[in-house]
Amino acid sequence: MAREKSSKDNAKALFHSLRSAYAATPVNLKIIDLYVGFAVFTALIQVVYMASVGSFPFNSFLSGVLSCVGTAVLAVCLRIQVNKENKEFKDLPPERAFADFVLCNLVLHLVIMNFLG
Amino acid sequence: MGKLWVISIASIFMLLPFLGNAFSPESPTDRRVLVLLDDSAIKSSHSIYFNSLKSRGFDLEFKLADDPKIALQRYGQYLYDALILFCPSVERFGGSIDLAAILDFVDSGRDLIIAADSSASDLIREVGIECGVDFDEDPSAMVIDHIGYAVSETEGDHTLIASDDLIKSDVILGSKRIEAPILFRGIGHSLNPANNLVLKVLSASPSAYSANPKSKLSTPPSLTGSAISLVSIVQARNNARILITGSLSMFSNKFFRSGVQKAGEKTKHEKSGNEQFLTEISKWVFHERGHLKTVNVKHHKVGETDEPALYRINDELEYSVEIYEWSGKSWDPYVANDVQVQFYMMSPYVLKTMSHNKKGLYSTSFKVPDVYGVFQFKVEYQKLGYTSLSLSKQIPVRPYRHNEYERFIPAAYPYYGAAFSMMAGFFVFSFVHLYSK
Repeated sequence: MAREKSSKDNAKALFHSLRSAYAATPVNLKIIDLYVGFAVFTALIQVVYMASVGSFPFNSFLSGVLSCVGTAVLAVCLRIQVNKENKEFKDLPPERAFADFVLCNLVLHLVIMNFLG
Repeated sequence: MGKLWVISIASIFMLLPFLGNAFSPESPTDRRVLVLLDDSAIKSSHSIYFNSLKSRGFDLEFKLADDPKIALQRYGQYLYDALILFCPSVERFGGSIDLAAILDFVDSGRDLIIAADSSASDLIREVGIECGVDFDEDPSAMVIDHIGYAVSETEGDHTLIASDDLIKSDVILGSKRIEAPILFRGIGHSLNPANNLVLKVLSASPSAYSANPKSKLSTPPSLTGSAISLVSIVQARNNARILITGSLSMFSNKFFRSGVQKAGEKTKHEKSGNEQFLTEISKWVFHERGHLKTVNVKHHKVGETDEPALYRINDELEYSVEIYEWSGKSWDPYVANDVQVQFYMMSPYVLKTMSHNKKGLYSTSFKVPDVYGVFQFKVEYQKLGYTSLSLSKQIPVRPYRHNEYERFIPAAYPYYGAAFSMMAGFFVFSFVHLYSK
């Protein structure tokens, strides 16, 4: 009984520490996290829709999901490169990271529009 | 001078087929009829029947069956449009006529009337077999009916029978009902049930049988009851028409004029039904009734007038055809409710009954099925007593071109929305990212 109580307490303690650590991140990173969450949420909606209605224009389904997933991936890359606490990308100017992000998104959306049908 | 003579003879011979009145697709009634008789007395003893034919415009040529100068064709041209064989006892035809010549005559689309009798020769029986009827093999057999015989003072052996078991068809027998029974005295024949081109027009009653009236029956007769056909018709696949009967005396003046009373019935008819029956059925045999022709097969897309070379799947199209019936003198519109058109490729994908506008124009419209390939518009019409129609027109059907599909698929709108919302989100995010602290 004591062990159960302690595992519950451990979970609670873990959750609280995560919350307080996350509150300490800079605002621009939180904005990027919000953007990633929006992309993943849109992808989930599309998967639920396909599960209910069927995969008839499969190319459209793939294109929609890929646009969400690609957007999420590129946003995560941008977050990695812009994060000041990241030692690996210390010398990379954030403007360069943003320029890469924009160019990659342009290519991604070009491909998406072609595959959407 | 000699050359001029040769040229004039040659030109006369070339114009010969146009000089005589013959039947042609434009005017399908027969004109010239060859009548082969056993002896010339038949010409006068059956004069009422022959005069009724002459009064309808037929040129009858009477010849004896063994006349050595008779011929059905000369130089490859047929001389007659129809043949009447009133020669039941002929053993060999004279001239160039024989069984093969008669069959070629029918194969060319010309009509035939055969009357056998109780003394029918093997040749006449063979002609019957080739036409699809089997006369009774016993040479002295006649149709006897002890219940349906015609009451008369002289004949006592019940071989003169009165029959009214007629086929129900206005085309073959005319629209006026035949009131009186029909007198018959001769041999009966049976039809092969597998043969669907031959029909019984007048059958014997169920109490009839075919046997020798002069001798006692030793074995049960082979032909009995309604299986005995007294008068049959054949409409060949090339629309040649044949009438076969086992009684030459049915056509005689004596039977035409005499009254008839069927045994067991109280009514005595003043005049037998023979004249009306044989006149009407000869109208059918000589193509004065029930002969159809089709003209102007047309098809086009709904809304257009010209015929396209090919259709696309899911097109709406209209098909029309004009059908006329020959009335003996002119082409009248044919009126019926059961003419169907098929859109056929190995099996009919569409089968529709056509509606008509009372002037003989049959039309219908339908949607091309969702299958591409080479289809045919088929009209296969076989109605009892009418010529069979078999029309077929080929038309290809193509699938959608790549730009004929629907541009935006409604089921994919969420995906379109998601992709565009991602683009909008990227745009908004980049501004926010650049201009926030």
